[in-house]
Order: sequence, then C-alpha cells, then structure tokens
Amino acid sequence: MDQALVAPGLPGVGVVRVLLVEDDEGDAFLVSELLSEDAAPVLIDVVTSVAAARQRLQQPGAVSYDCVLLDLGLPDAEGLDALHSVLEVADGAAVLCLTGLDDEHRGVAAAAAGAQDYLVKGQVDGQLLRRSIRYAIERKRADEQLRALYASELRAAENARLERGLLPHPEVADPSIGVTTRYRPGRDAVLGGDFYDVVETEDGTLFLLIGDVAGHGPDEAALGVSLRIAWRTLVLAGLERERLLPVLEDVLVRERRSEEVFATLCMVVVAPDRRSARVFLAGHPAPLLLGDAPEQLPDELVGPALGVLPGVVWGSRIVELEPGWRLMLFTDGIVEGHVGEGSERLGVPGLLGLAMQSPGYPDSGALVDDLIAKARELHGGDLSDDVAVVVVGHDAAVPQRTPAVPSTSGWT
Amino acid sequence: MDLSLSNRPEGDKTVVEVGGEIDVYTAPRLREQLVDLVADGKYHLVVDMERVDFLDSTGLGVLVGGLKRVRAHDGSLRLVCTQERILKIFRITGLTKVFPIHDSVEDALAATD
Repeated sequence: MDQALVAPGLPGVGVVRVLLVEDDEGDAFLVSELLSEDAAPVLIDVVTSVAAARQRLQQPGAVSYDCVLLDLGLPDAEGLDALHSVLEVADGAAVLCLTGLDDEHRGVAAAAAGAQDYLVKGQVDGQLLRRSIRYAIERKRADEQLRALYASELRAAENARLERGLLPHPEVADPSIGVTTRYRPGRDAVLGGDFYDVVETEDGTLFLLIGDVAGHGPDEAALGVSLRIAWRTLVLAGLERERLLPVLEDVLVRERRSEEVFATLCMVVVAPDRRSARVFLAGHPAPLLLGDAPEQLPDELVGPALGVLPGVVWGSRIVELEPGWRLMLFTDGIVEGHVGEGSERLGVPGLLGLAMQSPGYPDSGALVDDLIAKARELHGGDLSDDVAVVVVGHDAAVPQRTPAVPSTSGWT
Repeated sequence: MDLSLSNRPEGDKTVVEVGGEIDVYTAPRLREQLVDLVADGKYHLVVDMERVDFLDSTGLGVLVGGLKRVRAHDGSLRLVCTQERILKIFRITGLTKVFPIHDSVEDALAATD
C-alpha cells in the first residue's frame, strides 16, 4: 500500500497521460488549456468517440493512460453506456466523467457505477481539474490494491477450504491407536492433490488411506477432496475392501476434467485385532514399517494408478504386525526432493536413512517433522511438490476398546 | 536442470528425444510437443527417455495423455528406457502394463505388435 502514501504532486513522478474523450472541439480545447497551466507535464490525447477511445485503450503496445476524461454526452454512446464501454477496457486508468450543467445527475450515477469521480463542465478551473485528476488516479490505485488484496484473501480462503477437505480429522475410537498427520504445500504454497484419511469402522477395522492426484493446483485438489470423501463414504457404508479401489476409480474417471488425470493411492486395512493388515497399492509407494529399524513394506503386488487402466482389479498383500507397530504412509513429495547439486533425489532409501538417523525416531510427531525438515534442507528450500505423511501407531500398553459390533470382514 | 526436446521421423514412426527433468514445471512442454505431433498426423511415437534424469507424476500424466491421444487414432506410443530409476517409477505406478517399454530405439522402431 506504499503508493497510496505518496505525497502531493501528480503521482508517478513525471508525465501524466490523459485520454480525453470529447466530441466538442471547444470543450476539448478548454480542457487542454486548463491542464497546460500545470507545473507537472500532462500529455493529452483527444478522441471524439467512445469507439475511438476503446481502440486507443486496447491497442497492443499502446501508451498506458493514467486517466480517461470521459464526456457523458458523446454521439456514439451516452451516459452510463459510454462509461461501461470505457471501463471495460480502461484497465489501470482512472476514469473521470464530464457532464453538462443540466445533467449533473448523470455524473452522480457514473461515480456510483465505477467512475472515480465526475466534474461539471463550466464549473471547472485549472486547479480543480488538476486536483480531480490527481485524486482520481490515486483513488484508482487504492481501489486496485484493495481488489488485489481481496483476491489474494479469497485465494487463501479457497486454499484453506480445500486443505480442510483434503486433510480431515482422523475418525478413530480405539485408544490403542495413535494417528499423526502432516501436510506441507509445495513451492509457492501451491496446493497439490495430496490427501489422506483414517477411519475406524464399527467392527474395529481400521482403514488408512493416502493418495496423490497427479498435477498441482485447485482442480487437482478439488478432485482429491472428492476422492477422499467418496472413499470415506464407501468405507463407512460397509463396502467390502476389495471393491473400494475399483469404485473409487470409477468416481475418478467420471469426475476428472481430462483423461490425463490419474491418482495414486495406498490403502491399508488393519484387522480389528491389530495383528495384521492388508496393503493395497495403486501406483503408490509402499508404506514404511517403523520397527527397531525402519523398512519399506514389499511393493511387488502393486497395481496401476487409478484412472490409468480403468477396469483393473487390485490385489493386496497381508502384513503381519508385531504389538507396538507403526506404519508410515507418505506421498512422493517427500522423496522427490533433490539431494545436492546434481540430479540425485532422496528416494525411499534416502528417506529410510534419514528416519534411521533421526533423534526423534521413537516419537511419531518429532520423527515426521524431522524428516520433512531434513528433506527440505537437502533440497535447499521448499520442496516442489506437496508432502503428506501419516503415521499410525499401535500402543501395546493400552487395552483395545471392544468394537461395537463383531468383525464380519473375515480376517482368517 | 531443464527439459530438452527434439523429434525426427523414422519411417512411419516419429522418435521424440527427451532429456533432463520432466516435472510439474517442464511437463507442459512435453504435452505440447505430443499434442502437436498428433495434430500433425503423427500417430506412431517412440519416446526416447534414455537421457531423462527425473520424472514425476505430472510427467507420467502427460505420457498417459499422449498414449490416449495416439490410441484415439489407432496409433502407438512406445518408450525407450533402460535406466533403473526411471523404470522403477513406471513399475510402481503400474504403467509398465500400459506402455510398451523397449531397450533401444531400434527395438522400438522394429516392434509391430
């Protein structure tokens, strides 16, 4: 907002460019004369119709005018019609309307409709005209800054809304299960399509999900929100786990805006007794098992990303879990960061190495914060892609809550 | 690091040579190239990825999009890649089942299936 604080004197230091739209030669001459008395140089171009004014304002590589002085009684457009036509193309220029003595009401209406101010011909001297132009230009700048501020606030609010949709609160009743989640937007705070969710169903089965819609931006983020909510709905509605990914793929194929869009997913379904889990991978890196030493779960049973080969069926693999287990699900943002100057990337081996060395290893929150900080540090700044990490841990010392209903999902 | 792109006709196919990094910032250029080739009636493409250092999900999306475009004209999109770290990305995302991947351009040009 510093420009709004500029002290008196015509703004922009130096020449002020004015486009005068006036069909009456006498009036045009008068305005030029009044402005020529100014100490600061004013350059005036005169056109005699709205059509000519629009042409001037839209000309590629044309002068950028600071102010348009618009007569509201022109032959090709009158009053507010003339104003709207000019405002449409005036871009950064302030618009100051000129009215006759007997139609001052038009000036009032024009100011309400977007002109910065109006002047009544015959009641204007040089000083008033110059001051009005100066004021109109300043007011226009202040308006523009307000608008830019408003737009950036809207964008931030939209991002926050999408982020809430992508990253929900885990729905877990079992006190023996701890959930830690982290999300960092990518470079320039661009929201990507990373999403996650954790849901425990009535029979005590624990469903974990992490996913990544390819690409970055609000479209991808919105699709991520759709997929996450669809997944949660399907889980809560009791759809059998083998059908979750195919139905989700169907949703993606129907909702995506282009055929290029696909999503990778990792879904882990932990048995009600917490001693085993089924891992489903759709083009997504396998989770890490954080035991005495961290290791990546096998990823040989991986199916394609959602939306790549519609109609495919995903297999899954059972993983036995020791009491006190911890699983870390992540999106590739954290492993795609550079390591040093060359083209080398962190990769999963690098991530395992960082986890092994992390002093925060036993504490999931401290570990994830440390991993993200180290990955950024190695990359030398913000990671390009967004990063989502979910750690779900089992506390063997806490007795498990008895599920509301017995398991029906057949874990044996 | 940046993306390098060039293409040349080889018989009834077109070889697209890609080098450098295909990521969210550079992938649009690859997309443009593939779209232009298809618009130009080039429906049999061989994308040589031997000099690609990095490929992210946006880049994969562009390749998938390219495949769908040529298939709409009964065309083909073959990849040439022997670099393990790039192949791994195709494996993890399940795209080895979608793209024919060859060891050399000659091999890809000779393939007819």
